[in-house]
Amino acid sequence: MEEINWGPLALTLQLAGVTTAILFVVSLPLAWWLSQSRSGWKPVVEALVSMPLVLPPTVLGFYFLLAFSPGSFFGGWLNEQFGLKLVFSFEGLVAASVVYSLPFMVHPIYSGLSGLPPSLSEAAYVMGKTKLTTFFRVLLPNMRASVLTGLVLSFAHTVGEFGVVLMIGGNIPDKTRVASIAIYEEVEALNYAEANVYSLVLFVISFAILLLVYLINGGYLKKHWR
Amino acid sequence: MKIYVWLRTAMWASLTLLTACRSPEPAKLTIATAANMQFAMEALTRAFTTETGIACNLTVSASGKLTAQIREGAPYDVFVAADMKYPDELFKAGLATRAPEAYARGRLVLWSAKPGLEPSLPGLADSAIRHIALANPRTAPYGLAAEEALKRQGLYEALAHKFVYGESIAQATQFISTQAAEAGFTAMSVVLSEQMKGKGRWIEVDPALYAPIDQGIVVLRRAETDGAAAEKFYTFMFSAKAKAILKQFGYEVNE
Repeated sequence: MEEINWGPLALTLQLAGVTTAILFVVSLPLAWWLSQSRSGWKPVVEALVSMPLVLPPTVLGFYFLLAFSPGSFFGGWLNEQFGLKLVFSFEGLVAASVVYSLPFMVHPIYSGLSGLPPSLSEAAYVMGKTKLTTFFRVLLPNMRASVLTGLVLSFAHTVGEFGVVLMIGGNIPDKTRVASIAIYEEVEALNYAEANVYSLVLFVISFAILLLVYLINGGYLKKHWR
Repeated sequence: MKIYVWLRTAMWASLTLLTACRSPEPAKLTIATAANMQFAMEALTRAFTTETGIACNLTVSASGKLTAQIREGAPYDVFVAADMKYPDELFKAGLATRAPEAYARGRLVLWSAKPGLEPSLPGLADSAIRHIALANPRTAPYGLAAEEALKRQGLYEALAHKFVYGESIAQATQFISTQAAEAGFTAMSVVLSEQMKGKGRWIEVDPALYAPIDQGIVVLRRAETDGAAAEKFYTFMFSAKAKAILKQFGYEVNE
């Protein structure tokens, strides 16, 4: 058997890692706002956040391609102001993945926040804690399972990304050629052995990740590890 | 029990109905089409349908991809490929009725949709060109030809970091036409098509720089049909009418 190139798998994990980290930072304030807000805009924001769940990835990919292209208004502006070219680049894949996986981070954190009793934050406020301190020292530690679910699902969903990357990636080795694209290409080139290795690795990773989530949410670890 | 009897009756009834309805269907062809032929094939099948009354469906993709699909039993009647290698592979695997015949010779162009950009092979080294789109050389003959031309010019190594790969020539075209890539390689039939005509500038790549892109056609073996309609299309592709259309789209044909 010929030498297996591990580049695409490493790139996939890197993309998923960076995307998850950014999503975590973005989603905390967003989920908190959703849990507090009584604004008329809330349903609109909720709908927008959930859009990637129902839209075909090709729709996202197509619009990203148009938006990121230096010939377009947004892409041209990014290029001129920051020298940033998002199409055919790792940065572009990260930007697209953040949008694509947004609901997988926001939803668990949002439902975690909504599930906490209001008395928890009220008690903290009465004791003179600021909103920020309350959020990080009281609320977050009480919803560890939700946060972990969000992290893990965002990671897993980004690992499974295909359609968006296919449309804006350009299949460049070590930059945009992630494992799902590599599998597609190897199958087309009738190189089933390599496709099989990549697929098997993704299969195992996905299973391990989901198993972890269900173990934690089922309280299994708490019960048996203490 | 009652339900079981009822189900059985319903199944028999539907089976009888299905067989009864199976009058000879109007002939319809499903044609696997190499992406570079997409626009030409639209014109060709239109002419063919007018002449014979046989309707055609096109499935457009990279030749390598279509070959993989046909090997796995995809239900196509004819394969209009972008080279001779892939259809020949199918013939050797016993999936085609006879060895492929070349219906046209393709021409490679270098194209840019970016305003003010004058495409040329040495000009690709310019820093204004950050990405060069080509079809994936592993599955698309035009991508392979582009790679070969750049290698012969001694430009390949210096430009390799700018390459972005479309899964077929159609995606390379899409990258160029949206200006996501400043320049790229595609088929002449693309830049001469109704949809892309007048968009940006293009030059033909010197045909001496790459192995000729002889494009082959094969009739595929299928158990479901007798292949008569497919044979008709095969013959049509070598007719004077088809040759005129192919020439119009920038292909070279044997007169």
